[in-house]
Amino acid sequence: MDLKRRPPEDAWIQERYALWLDRCTRIAFAVTLAAFLLYASGLAAPWISLEQLPALWQLSLPQYLQATGAATGWQWLRMLRYGDYLNIAGISLFALVILVCHGAMIVPFLARGERLLALLAALQVAVLVAAASGFFAGG
Amino acid sequence: MLDAMPWWAWPILLFVVTFVLGVVSVVAGIGGGVLFVPIVGSFFPFHLDFVRGAGLVLALAGTLAAGPLLLRAQLASLRLVMPLALAGSIASLAGAVLGLALSTELVQTALGVVVIAVAFLIWRSKGADAASEPDALGEALRLEGRYLDPAAHMVIDWRTHRTAAGIASFAGIGFLGGVFGLGAGFANVPALNLLMGAPLKVAVGSSGLVISVINSSAAWVYINRGALLPLIAVPSILGVMLGSRIGARLLRVTPASVVRRAVIVVMLIAGSRALLRGLGLWI
Repeated sequence: MDLKRRPPEDAWIQERYALWLDRCTRIAFAVTLAAFLLYASGLAAPWISLEQLPALWQLSLPQYLQATGAATGWQWLRMLRYGDYLNIAGISLFALVILVCHGAMIVPFLARGERLLALLAALQVAVLVAAASGFFAGG
Repeated sequence: MLDAMPWWAWPILLFVVTFVLGVVSVVAGIGGGVLFVPIVGSFFPFHLDFVRGAGLVLALAGTLAAGPLLLRAQLASLRLVMPLALAGSIASLAGAVLGLALSTELVQTALGVVVIAVAFLIWRSKGADAASEPDALGEALRLEGRYLDPAAHMVIDWRTHRTAAGIASFAGIGFLGGVFGLGAGFANVPALNLLMGAPLKVAVGSSGLVISVINSSAAWVYINRGALLPLIAVPSILGVMLGSRIGARLLRVTPASVVRRAVIVVMLIAGSRALLRGLGLWI
């Protein structure tokens, strides 16, 4: 090991990001687990009944959407009273975790003079917001 | 017999399968979707459209769950991940906008051949060409670090090189993923290890974090299309998350030679799958 050349003291970066990642992922996990228990137990009535699903999950996506009138885009936000869409909300929390974690690092990066990392974090947040907007749903 | 199974038996089976996948995928540095899609697509009654959607969010959840443990053990480097994941996610979205300009079968076949070839390359090589001097871009980004390897009983200092080529590789991997929905995260490890000279364990750990960033943007494509069935996606997410946390602990204490073998096996499986799909012999 080259003792003359010490690696950068990045422990605070790793630790702070890990803390945010851990917290956000646990929240997403807990919400999704609770939503699934409500859905699978029948406590939260679904838009599409569980008994119907074995006949529907064999269909292609266009056929399934036509047969069920299931929500696309951000329509699911208006259907959160149904158990299945409560689960979509839980899954969407997972898709937000990295956005929150990167966003939470921008100010600490700037405060410690890590301007390049702050710029990379801000750009990543912009990319994730653009993805969430649905503009790129064509792929 | 399987057709007669009640609806509730499927999520239980999915949970068991994805728990095992979670352990394996962290140790091999992949998202898990690359194994989930062929296994569940072949042996479960769901349409591939929903299996792909579940595979993507499963890979996202599994890598998010393993992330904190890998970061704290210094096996995933945020400094290394940020530029690579940014390039990958921009290219992935660009690929999604451009859409299908090439035959999917052709790209699947080419990808399969390349992945199998890289697996043989890793098998034949004695390890990565360790970076002695960083390049200017790597120096500016300070792409270096240190981790304790309990399996080898030593502290390992590392740095990377060929930063521009590494960023270009991740853009290429992300672009292919965006255009074809391939789930090409298994290419991350050789790009980090063989090209950029990161130690294999750091390559494996950082690959998981890159996948979590890129899949965060790709997940919205599936959510917005309505391609996620909760009864398939959620048990898979819960199973893989529990398995991933065990996998992250295993990676720390597993000898690098075992990790190397796991990477080779997974790449051979993933490459064969892509090749067979490209040739129309498998889903």
